Amino acid sequence: MKNTEAEKNALERMRPGHITAQGFLGTDTRGLADIVEADIEELRRLGVDPDEAAARLELLRDEGQKGLGEPISVGKRWVVSTGDARGMLPCPWNDGLYHKNSIRVQEQDGALVLIYSDLSIHLLKEHRFLQGRGSPFRLEPSILAQLLRDE
Amino acid sequence: MSPIIVGPLVAAGLSAFLALVIALIDRVVNDYGEVTIDINGGKRSYTVRGGSPLLGTLAAEGLFVPSACGGRGSCGACKVRVLSDVGPHLPTEMPYLNPEEVSQNVRLSCQIKLKKNIDIELPEELFSVKKFSSTVESIRELTYDIKEVLFKLDEPKAIEFVAGQYIQIVVPPYGEIKESVQRAYSMSSRPRDDGHVELLVRLVPGGIATTWVHKYLKVGQKVELVGPFGDFQVHDTPAAMLCVAGGSGMAPFKSMFYEMKENNSFPDKEIWYFFGARTTRDMFYLDELRQLEKDWPRFHFVAALSEPKADEAWQGDTGLITDVLDKYIKEKIGKDKGLEGYLCGSPGMINACINVMTKNGVAERDIYFDKFA
Repeated sequence: MKNTEAEKNALERMRPGHITAQGFLGTDTRGLADIVEADIEELRRLGVDPDEAAARLELLRDEGQKGLGEPISVGKRWVVSTGDARGMLPCPWNDGLYHKNSIRVQEQDGALVLIYSDLSIHLLKEHRFLQGRGSPFRLEPSILAQLLRDE
Repeated sequence: MSPIIVGPLVAAGLSAFLALVIALIDRVVNDYGEVTIDINGGKRSYTVRGGSPLLGTLAAEGLFVPSACGGRGSCGACKVRVLSDVGPHLPTEMPYLNPEEVSQNVRLSCQIKLKKNIDIELPEELFSVKKFSSTVESIRELTYDIKEVLFKLDEPKAIEFVAGQYIQIVVPPYGEIKESVQRAYSMSSRPRDDGHVELLVRLVPGGIATTWVHKYLKVGQKVELVGPFGDFQVHDTPAAMLCVAGGSGMAPFKSMFYEMKENNSFPDKEIWYFFGARTTRDMFYLDELRQLEKDWPRFHFVAALSEPKADEAWQGDTGLITDVLDKYIKEKIGKDKGLEGYLCGSPGMINACINVMTKNGVAERDIYFDKFA
């Protein structure tokens, strides 16, 4: 699938060393439009609404922040840790600036782990971009489905 | 000679020739000669060769503006106010600047190329910032995700700083990370031990510097440090200190407490230190701080677990550290000399503590913090 001009520019800024040292694409070699299209299709197959998933990630972040930087149990299944670093990150599409943070959601027994940030939530909500395979902040559709099922 | 070989050879030769011509033209056309950098109305001045970004040029002169990304325009940390005309803001700068900063002509020093004389404003604390070469002397695991790292300074051999300040580690390229980055950490060592720098580093998921410290850094390894930075420090008043931290937020307080005890500085101050964690697995320095409390009557240590496990036999306070803080201010801490807040941690933790403190009569102007933001 062909990338639009905005996607081409965003793709360039997603490479390692532009906005973050590791970039947003991981080991994924597909074009941006292909990554987005494939993930939207996978979310649809799993019955995950991206906006509901984003709202769930925001809720987990807000609950996790009650731990004031320390891990905290959220419900019976999840432990959430929120961390903050100095600095801000711009969206690769240049439509916002986000505090540099990380939210780690882990099953109490440690089987499932999802790591994301405020920028990840924005990328999901506004651009339907879950990051490339192998990116440390990728929102894996199967884990998003688990998070929603737990509501 | 075969045309299959001649073709590529001619193309390579032409490319090399063109590259040489471009390099020569660049040297002639982009030769800006000598330019002067004037800082804070003549307090410092450097005459340098023009053509390079301001950030790197200042660093070459020994003046280090904080930068996390090493000058690639991806962290927004290296802001300076420019008083002379250096042209309009670049698209690469705009995402990192708010409207007020744009109107004040605040710029990213890594993005400004020195083409003519320039006048800038910088915090004067940066004048004492130095780059240090050091050797890792020890690495200690404090918890499953926090390490204490002790660096011995090689050159310069000593650092002058105030307890509470931070320093930047220069992280070299490693693994998939192809470029050097810098990250800031509060120093937990005492200023009196000026030949060492100690840091407490918590592993951040996906974090470049913390992953390097936790998985790659070894005893004996050479590491560059840049600092000191920051204005988080003890204020000279008789008011009692309410210090709150969790995790690696312990670092500046460890430095402050031991420095105060050894120097008997700020002798009128009572010190209350609130340290929160989820379980004992997340706690560290417990014995050390309890011993400090025994040895130093004006120091009070309050450790609290938010989710103690039944089998942990935890004897201390329980609950979120903000709730414990609220209870102590209301029931146990004397207010006759006034109260001051000292906080180190995430913006969420700091906002929650400010809320508790102000509701209990601590003036917001008397709350000092080192926010990881």
